Amino acid sequence: MRVLRLPAALAALAIAATACSSDGGDSGGGGEYPRNETLYTTGTAWGPPTSWNPMMRGQYTVGTIGLVYEPLFLFDGETGEYVHWLAESDEWPSENVHEITLREGVTWTDGEPLVADDVVTTLELGKLDGSPYSNVWNYVESVEATDERTVTVTFSENRPQEWMNWAYANPIVPDHIWSELSETDVTDGPNENPVGTGSYVYESHTDDRMVWERNDDWWATEALDLDMDARYIVDIVNASNEVTMGMLNQNEVDLSNNFLPGIDQVLNSNENITSFYDGPPYMKSANTAWLVPNLTREPLDDPDFRQALAHAIDLEQIVEGPYANLVQPASPTGLLPEWDDYIDHELVEDKGFTYSASEAVAILEEAGYLDEDGDGYVETPDGEPISLTLEVPSGWTDWMEAARLIATNAQDVGINIEAQFPDFDLLVDNRNAGEFDLIINNERQLSNTPWTYYDYLFQLPVQEQQSTVNFHRYENEEAWALTEQLAAVPVDDVEGAAEITSQLQEIQLTDLPAIPLWYNGLWAQSTNEYWTNWPSEHEGTPNSPATLWNGWFELGAITTLAEIEPVE
Amino acid sequence: MWRYIGRKLFVYLLTFIVAVTINWMIPRFMPGDPVRSMLSRASVGDPEALERMTNYYNEVFGLDQPLHQQYLSFWSGLFKGDLGISTMLYPQPVLDIILRAVPYTLGLLIPAILLSWIIGNRFGAFAARSKVLDNTVLPVGYILTATPYMWLALLLAWSLGIVAGVFPVAGGYSYSLRPDFSWMFISSLLTHWFLPFLSLFIVALGGWAIGMRNMIIYELEADYANYLQALGAPRRLVRRYAFRNAMLPQITGLAVQLGTIIAGALLTEIVFNYPGLGTLILNSLNSRDFFLLQGIFLFVVVGVLIANFIIDIVYVLIDPRTRVQMTGGSS
Amino acid sequence: MTNVAGAPGTADAAGAPEPAGERKGSETLHFARRNPKLLIGLGIVLVFLLIGVIGPFFVSDSPNDYVGPKSRPPNGEYWLGTNTFGQDIWAQFVYGVRATFLIGVFGGGVAFLIGTAVGFVAGYKGGIIDEILNMLTNVVLVLPALVVLIVAIAYLDVRGLFVQGVFIGLTTWPWAARAVRSQALSLATRDYVDLARLSGRRTWKIITTEIAPNMSSYLVMSFILLFGGAVLTAAGLDFIGLGPSNGVSLGLMLESAVKWSALQLGMWWWFIPPGLGITVIVGSLYILNVGLDEVFNPKLREL
Repeated sequence: MRVLRLPAALAALAIAATACSSDGGDSGGGGEYPRNETLYTTGTAWGPPTSWNPMMRGQYTVGTIGLVYEPLFLFDGETGEYVHWLAESDEWPSENVHEITLREGVTWTDGEPLVADDVVTTLELGKLDGSPYSNVWNYVESVEATDERTVTVTFSENRPQEWMNWAYANPIVPDHIWSELSETDVTDGPNENPVGTGSYVYESHTDDRMVWERNDDWWATEALDLDMDARYIVDIVNASNEVTMGMLNQNEVDLSNNFLPGIDQVLNSNENITSFYDGPPYMKSANTAWLVPNLTREPLDDPDFRQALAHAIDLEQIVEGPYANLVQPASPTGLLPEWDDYIDHELVEDKGFTYSASEAVAILEEAGYLDEDGDGYVETPDGEPISLTLEVPSGWTDWMEAARLIATNAQDVGINIEAQFPDFDLLVDNRNAGEFDLIINNERQLSNTPWTYYDYLFQLPVQEQQSTVNFHRYENEEAWALTEQLAAVPVDDVEGAAEITSQLQEIQLTDLPAIPLWYNGLWAQSTNEYWTNWPSEHEGTPNSPATLWNGWFELGAITTLAEIEPVE
Repeated sequence: MWRYIGRKLFVYLLTFIVAVTINWMIPRFMPGDPVRSMLSRASVGDPEALERMTNYYNEVFGLDQPLHQQYLSFWSGLFKGDLGISTMLYPQPVLDIILRAVPYTLGLLIPAILLSWIIGNRFGAFAARSKVLDNTVLPVGYILTATPYMWLALLLAWSLGIVAGVFPVAGGYSYSLRPDFSWMFISSLLTHWFLPFLSLFIVALGGWAIGMRNMIIYELEADYANYLQALGAPRRLVRRYAFRNAMLPQITGLAVQLGTIIAGALLTEIVFNYPGLGTLILNSLNSRDFFLLQGIFLFVVVGVLIANFIIDIVYVLIDPRTRVQMTGGSS
Repeated sequence: MTNVAGAPGTADAAGAPEPAGERKGSETLHFARRNPKLLIGLGIVLVFLLIGVIGPFFVSDSPNDYVGPKSRPPNGEYWLGTNTFGQDIWAQFVYGVRATFLIGVFGGGVAFLIGTAVGFVAGYKGGIIDEILNMLTNVVLVLPALVVLIVAIAYLDVRGLFVQGVFIGLTTWPWAARAVRSQALSLATRDYVDLARLSGRRTWKIITTEIAPNMSSYLVMSFILLFGGAVLTAAGLDFIGLGPSNGVSLGLMLESAVKWSALQLGMWWWFIPPGLGITVIVGSLYILNVGLDEVFNPKLREL
């Protein structure tokens, strides 16, 4: 047994070494976060925290906007109303002037008060190259601080829908800090010590998590009676689905904003884990997944062919298969359920597509797409063989499964489509450059106005690189003119807007520039072991989104954080 | 003996050169230029780091230069300890990221290799003694070595972790802890460590046991053993000689098996989401961070070479033939 | 790359085989019939081979179709149950077994060809050629195969069984080369080889007609080990997500089971069969190999 002793000692040494070396974290002090005062979340961050600069869209650590920096308004998607946030009140003295009064008693976390100049500076930053909202100056003429707490914005062109979208989606930054930063620091600096007005401040971070600590002097505690019970929020960088599922089961995370396959089984069997709805689809909808055809390629440039394709897809199968009813099939208009008022239901009844393989075959036949050579797939009316690929990013398991199904559906009616799974970045490159046949895309989220969706579908002009909208490269002057009209409709004029959207839907349903597939869920599953009162369909629980993704704090998620309660 | 070590060192040096060359070649001779497109796509924020990254890329991938020039600058970058900047954990240097993960991987590997080797050898030698034991141990051993590492890891994670709830199944330590040198933190480290270690240990164990068992049998059939037996030497003594002789090839086997066990450790880490090199490989694959991936590759190769060298030294020290040579050579 | 440390056939200690003869053949057969390890191992391997070869004809649909109810445990209709999507796990398993044999034969085959070619040439030619080839072998031997494979395959956009097999072959041959070399070395100095050499026959001819047949048993065993190694390596690659893009294999089944949380959902019928399949196939091959070793190597028969 003499031989055994040395290795055992070595092993012990190795373990100790592991322990020591992993001690090199950069968080201040060790120990445990008190469990009943700490909220563990995951599902928002896809990489380690590296930046706290709200100007670096897509790169800042989630929570930077929302928890630290706050916007003037929130937008409540349920009621379709703007909620005053940093703004105490606002009015439109004339059609092209918006006057906003700030709340009194709001202070930055460095002690300085919030003043009108902060708003002015924030907007002025939009003039810098590389600012995420430089387009705001296309229609804003001037912005002035008329007194300590009043800002007056004058417009050169009236686009209230677009302006209000800016006003709730963009946070105010402090003038006394940001006006002195260099241009590169503003657009590219990591801003390691963020000073905001919000409910939380930076505590620490490591590669796998971001820790926020409560700001005890938050203005809304007094002004809006919002209490943040969680002293710490630990946001864990996304691990794989199954790891997250495991942590949820063991109450190691309180809120997961991931798509977790099989979560329906867990929701049904584990009383402790809940989501918004008790039954399918369990989650609310967050955005629409579109099947985007490349309209510059044959035969996808033919509306009849696209109609046939739309009729061929069995959405029920996708929804029940890979998604296990966690999502719902989309309306043929693609508009989210929150925008029901903008949908022309008669028109949809008349012109909307539904799944019918025989109908798809009939459309193909009528348009001259026939299988002359007998290989089981149709050719173009000119007799050219058709062979298309449908690409979704590699590793996006649910979409990969859905793409396989769509390809099979299409093959069943004689359209030769093959699913391919390139790397995400490659796909983005090809998508932007217009080098693809078919892709799936869901980049437009729920917002204050369906205008954002029509902007996504119809925006002109089509450029060489299309990086955010109109990936399908659809060119229709009429549709774009209507979309611009929609932007100019006053924010509270739903009927006026619906009139325009009806015309847009006529074009969209006839031409099908992109085919709506399903509503991607607003993934949120929470455990009730340490925190409760999560948003749900039940009476007496909050109705706000329990999703801490980028852009959802402004849609009410911040109030969810104030509503949840610790379990005693 | 020095000739032996010198020769080995030469092979290792050569291997290192080959590995670096592979690393250099793969991105260049694969279709397309994934690294450049990765760089251009990387949403890089800090301009200073972007400059460093582009410099590094131009230096080591400077595609306008002639090939031999590119190759030489690749080496010079390497000697400066510059493995590039990660795009996944941008803007951290690849080297830092790897160094953070290495202790976890070593903490799994070293105990698993040493313990499985020692216990496996004992067990194998023991099994070779009795026919009954041999007939049961042998198939079990073979089945164990035929088990894919990740599958055993999955089985353990499922049975002991999820169903029984005895051990945690993911991560290096609990998320509710901040790393420090407290008892609570270390115990959390240990409980997270145990299952990955165990699955690695079990699979490796089978291989060593079989190896030893076979060696002993070969040795017992050797002429010297027969001779000793004919002389009436006690069975135990013959066995002991056989065991000693069988140890030598087992030590060489250790070197040969190193690659496999490391591969096993990487797969096991992935199953348990253990924050070592394996999980890092998976993450860098998923985010197409080729600098990081290649950095890990070089690191693993260097690790294997060092381990091989240590094994060689041990071999030389234990092998009676070289020992005699050593003393004989000096006189 | 095989899991087996010092498995029979790998050991340089194995005695050089004797020239085979008519009588010897029947004697071998005699012992083969009585060797339980050989028979059991071979039996199991054949059963799986049968599953892989004719099984796909009996599971009618392509294995990735959604054919049944979702997440059902094994039952009469779906022998191994269904997964989250309602795919028939038995159908996937059957196709996976086929893919396992294919990658084994293919990856193992490429490795075998390279390994034996290098080994024979090195062992037979000797001298400087031997030195160089031996150096090359040692270098590739030290490189951790799976890690090399990961780096190489990560750069490929389109992945298939074929490419996977070639890459596995290219990285796992050295050990076979080493073993073959040491055998060839001892055979190369035999009288009948000298005789052949004197008669002026070509090197290649001598290797294939005089040397190789005399160590055929040894070659078979090497191939079996390479086969097993290739299967395990491929499973590892599939599991990491570097498997064939649109295929079915046991490794891919494991990958998707993990990805879709089969463990957390307790769907044991999804992740146990593929791993068990690999283990049993490779394990039986190894045991079969021990059996072969005992049959061919008279010294071991007593046991």
